Amino acid sequence: MSLNTSANNRAPGAITRKKPVWASPWGYAEGWLICLALLITGTALQLTIGGLNANALSWPVNIITGSIFTAVLIFSWYFLRRLPMVNWLARVPAAITSIALLTFLVLIMGFTLQEDAGNPAWVQQLGLSNMTSSWPFLFGMMFFMASLGMATLKRLTPMKGRNIGFFLNHAGLYIAILGGLLGAADLKRVFFDLTEGEVMWGAVDRDGLYYEMPLAVELERFNMEEFNPKVAIIYNETGRIVPESISQMFEMGKGHRGNLYGWDVEILEFHKMSGRIDGRFEPVIDYGAPPAALVRVTDSGGQQLEGWITSGSFMYPHQLLHVDHELAIAMTIPQASHYSSDVVIYTPDGQVRQARVEVNKPVSVNGWKLYQFSYDDRFGKWSSSSTIEAIRDPWLPVVYTGIFMLIAGSLYLMTLGKAPETEPDDTPALHEAGMPSPDKKNNTPLYVAAPGPDAERALKPVRKPQQEPEFEGVV
Amino acid sequence: MMPIDPTLFTIAAIVLWALGMLLFLIAGERKMVKVLAHASYLAGILVLAVFTWMLWDILGRPPMRTLGETRLWYAMFLPVIGYATYVRWDYSWILHYSGAVAIVFLAINLVYPDNYDRDLMPALQSVWFVPHVIVYIFAYALLAASAIVAVKGLAIQYFGLKWSWSMQLADNLVYLGLGFLTLGLLFGALWGKEAWGHYWMWDPKETWAFLTWIGYLAYIHFRYHKPNKTAEANWILAVAFIILLIAWFGVNYLPSAANSVHTYAQ
Ligand code: HEM
Repeated sequence: MSLNTSANNRAPGAITRKKPVWASPWGYAEGWLICLALLITGTALQLTIGGLNANALSWPVNIITGSIFTAVLIFSWYFLRRLPMVNWLARVPAAITSIALLTFLVLIMGFTLQEDAGNPAWVQQLGLSNMTSSWPFLFGMMFFMASLGMATLKRLTPMKGRNIGFFLNHAGLYIAILGGLLGAADLKRVFFDLTEGEVMWGAVDRDGLYYEMPLAVELERFNMEEFNPKVAIIYNETGRIVPESISQMFEMGKGHRGNLYGWDVEILEFHKMSGRIDGRFEPVIDYGAPPAALVRVTDSGGQQLEGWITSGSFMYPHQLLHVDHELAIAMTIPQASHYSSDVVIYTPDGQVRQARVEVNKPVSVNGWKLYQFSYDDRFGKWSSSSTIEAIRDPWLPVVYTGIFMLIAGSLYLMTLGKAPETEPDDTPALHEAGMPSPDKKNNTPLYVAAPGPDAERALKPVRKPQQEPEFEGVV
Repeated sequence: MMPIDPTLFTIAAIVLWALGMLLFLIAGERKMVKVLAHASYLAGILVLAVFTWMLWDILGRPPMRTLGETRLWYAMFLPVIGYATYVRWDYSWILHYSGAVAIVFLAINLVYPDNYDRDLMPALQSVWFVPHVIVYIFAYALLAASAIVAVKGLAIQYFGLKWSWSMQLADNLVYLGLGFLTLGLLFGALWGKEAWGHYWMWDPKETWAFLTWIGYLAYIHFRYHKPNKTAEANWILAVAFIILLIAWFGVNYLPSAANSVHTYAQ
């Protein structure tokens, strides 16, 4: 009996295909073990010393950390490439295993409410409800970024024309993610709670702490435009809209007509702002004036009913048209279509500037961007106050550099598709697969494809995709 | 009062596609029938495009807000991709597949007529809205086609069916699809910065969009490294598509989505 049983068990042809784990070059097995080690270490740290402090990375710690991380990658690639680990990080097995680890962590995040409240204690303890500031996530990201960075370096020198697309995608992603991760702690968001006519020099942050700003804002006027309200059918008792009728609701407007839950409903009059006079409503322009409409309802038997309805406002009550003791015709509360704040912005250099801050149209001042955040929704379009959010994101140019490289890179990706095999149904047909590697000329792998039960086995690699040996052990 | 009645257009598109597919099947070598098949299939797309355009005009906003409206776009783009793939690469099955899926989507819209209401919340009124959604739906349509290629490949391997099939087609669809998916993700990030001040917040919808994206990333890297391991590659494609479906339809139902800012689509 031989001591070397594992060697005896091997089929004669397989002997060259197995490689002991950790022997050079590394492959998938090493990658999975590294993932496991990172998960265990990360979880242990999480349980013993708790999650990460998101603010620990604020300036200048972030620029130093990012530079050191990148410098270590560069140094390793140019001077320590002999190490199995360095070489391996630049290849696909590391890419795929690190992608899988990150996917695993993000998948957990995708299923877990990212908030401590509402999660069981063990979920909080493992950091799963705060994934992006947990140790396993940090380690997963570092592994991912190391692999991505090494892959970028591998194709960087000597730079060849055909590598530009590769560079745009990989370097772009590296820059965007690194900028985003490191910049998060430098991102400041504060709020100006403005009231018409008051100048505000300071803002408050999320926790209500006062924050001195290099600019002051004064609210001149808050503006809102509304969509016309809709006509709806509701239960008298609860005031709720009859669910089956939701898809039949239609917009108010003189002459509009539709079928609502079996009734024929016609709008005879509609005023966007109205005042009540002798049981009728007339158009007026007044503070708090609600919209009103005269509607006519006809049932299937031809019976008719006519009356005024209004959604009411914070100043006036609403009014319904009761069709029977169960149901009534109502007007919905108008929804905002646009809202904005006209503001005056003062800066310490003595400049005064007028601007309109609108949803989706922020205004930039002194390195800050001002966003329309909210208003006093009790008063709707008569609100005399408005909240402006101010955001400073000094790393944004870095992230945008990465994003624009990625946009160019994704256009390159779209061109990678290959011409089809000339005769897709031929047996056996030579067809191409994989992509050309700019590293070596003409090493596109070719396969002999044979359809039929043994299609998979019949795919014989004629040439290897890369010169590195393939190990079949663990995939 | 529906601003425009979709029934007629929907039925017309369904009939035209069904007729076109039937004609493709029976055409054989007859030139005339082939021409009619092409005409009918394309006319179906045209009818739907006209309807979408009219709907856009009448609503006064891009019809991309509700799930029903996104189904409409999907039902329009999928046959475009199927047709282009057929013309370019001569895979007739993909034409039938995309026609069939588009018909199913339109049929769902017939059964559940969506509330084509007029209101579009201010946060959605942005120049990014249209490119973001169109690019995404285009990506979804391409990647759905790649999932079918994968399932077909797996079926061939498992049951030993004698169908012709090529991994190259899946690759081509994924390069295009992932390209569009990346653009959609990035447009979303740029829009997010303008709309609510940050490009990425790990909101549940974003989290699942990221998972989808990285799934296809795994596929192209695996293909590059192990081009002859087609079974594994097909599995990656199938799983990635399931993640895509969750990102599209399922996120609203997940516990993690309680605070999502993206759950306005009904
Ligand atoms: C925007 C995202 C990405 C895209 C579009 C992309 C695309 C590609 C493509 C098309 C290739 C094939 C080679 C070529 O065409 O020249 C490739 C190779 C590769 N990628 Fe990526 N990739 C991305 C992200 C990543 C990430 C996140 C990693 C690492 C974690 C990575 C690591 C690699 C490696 C190691 C190779 C092989 C390089 C070689 O052996 O020469 N890639 N990538």
